[in-house]
Amino acid sequence: MKRFLPLLAALAPVPAFAHAFLKSAEPRVGAVVATPPAQLLLTYTEELAVPFCTVTVAGPNGAQVQAAKPQPVPGHENELAVKVRITAPGKYVVTWHALSQDTHKTQGRYSFTLSP
Amino acid sequence: MLVLRGLCRGLHLAGYFSASGTIILAATLLRRARLSGLKPLAWGGFALALVAGAGWFLLQTAYFAAARNWADILNAIPIVVQDTRFGALLLGRMAALLLAVLLFQAGWTRLAALLALGGVLAEAWLGHGGAMSGAEGEVLLASAVLHLAGAALWLGTLPVLLLALRRLPGAEAAWLARCFSPLGMACVIVLVGTAAVQFVLLIGGVGALFASAYGALAGAKILALGLLTGLAARNKFSLTPSLPGSGVALRRAVALEIVLGLAVLLAAGLLLQLEPPAMTGMAGM
Repeated sequence: MKRFLPLLAALAPVPAFAHAFLKSAEPRVGAVVATPPAQLLLTYTEELAVPFCTVTVAGPNGAQVQAAKPQPVPGHENELAVKVRITAPGKYVVTWHALSQDTHKTQGRYSFTLSP
Repeated sequence: MLVLRGLCRGLHLAGYFSASGTIILAATLLRRARLSGLKPLAWGGFALALVAGAGWFLLQTAYFAAARNWADILNAIPIVVQDTRFGALLLGRMAALLLAVLLFQAGWTRLAALLALGGVLAEAWLGHGGAMSGAEGEVLLASAVLHLAGAALWLGTLPVLLLALRRLPGAEAAWLARCFSPLGMACVIVLVGTAAVQFVLLIGGVGALFASAYGALAGAKILALGLLTGLAARNKFSLTPSLPGSGVALRRAVALEIVLGLAVLLAAGLLLQLEPPAMTGMAGM
């Protein structure tokens, strides 16, 4: 019976994440961090077509602080890395648009706070 | 644009299945039959797959790049080809089908059939399962591979079956219809089983069939599949045993199956453009 448990678990009626949604982020969603990050790392539920993904990061005064386009993370096809120039304390809003390898677009927004 | 993209994808699948099904049936049940028209039928399927595939490629590229004009699309084409699975797979699958039809033309029928079937199955990696990780992704991918195989071996072989029923002598046509029945039944079982897996993982429950465009379209597809199965059962249990007397009725039934099959594939093409209800509301974070 034990050998069938993984199969049964796989077939259990749970919703599938059948588009690229944000699974986790570094700094974490809603986090308060003491030191300014040099880059953001966004992890999704599906593999991404990175050239068609965009990430903008707006600082406390509304100015965009992303330093470059999102870059792929070698060996992790469901991750994006975005270099940022963050110095001022305050709330940073990250707005992302993702294209997954199954050809669907998704978008979302979250924030984190720099409080040294 | 979404509807047009879905229709192009559905027509591309129909052409691909038809060309592949023709070659596969020629390599198996029709191996010893003297039947004219097989090669033009395979080339016709290839032409439909190519034209609809080109439309799908351009529309999908415009969607990826959020293009506002032709220049945006042209600029995005190299990126789509090089950096997206969609571009690489669509071009690779079309190259495989072209090679398969050329091999078929040259008489290398079995190799052509294998190549065409590989191109059919590769489409699965463009679906949700191909981009997802974990057990759910693997189950969805495996079910998509089987679903495509079942659909191509059944729906894709219907045009060549109709051609053979029209042109082969009565006894040969009856033998072909009898041999085709178990293949059709096996494909129906695979299609229903894999559709059930996808229903559970992507739709979630019967209620979602009535609460979203995806659910409504999936419901229509299930209904059409039910009608197709009913027709196939009538063919197997009523018309085929009565051949050659029931030849005209059987040919009409197969023609109706082709029309319904095309409707199912167009619905599938549209369905693949929509968001499954099991994940509605997950966007935003």
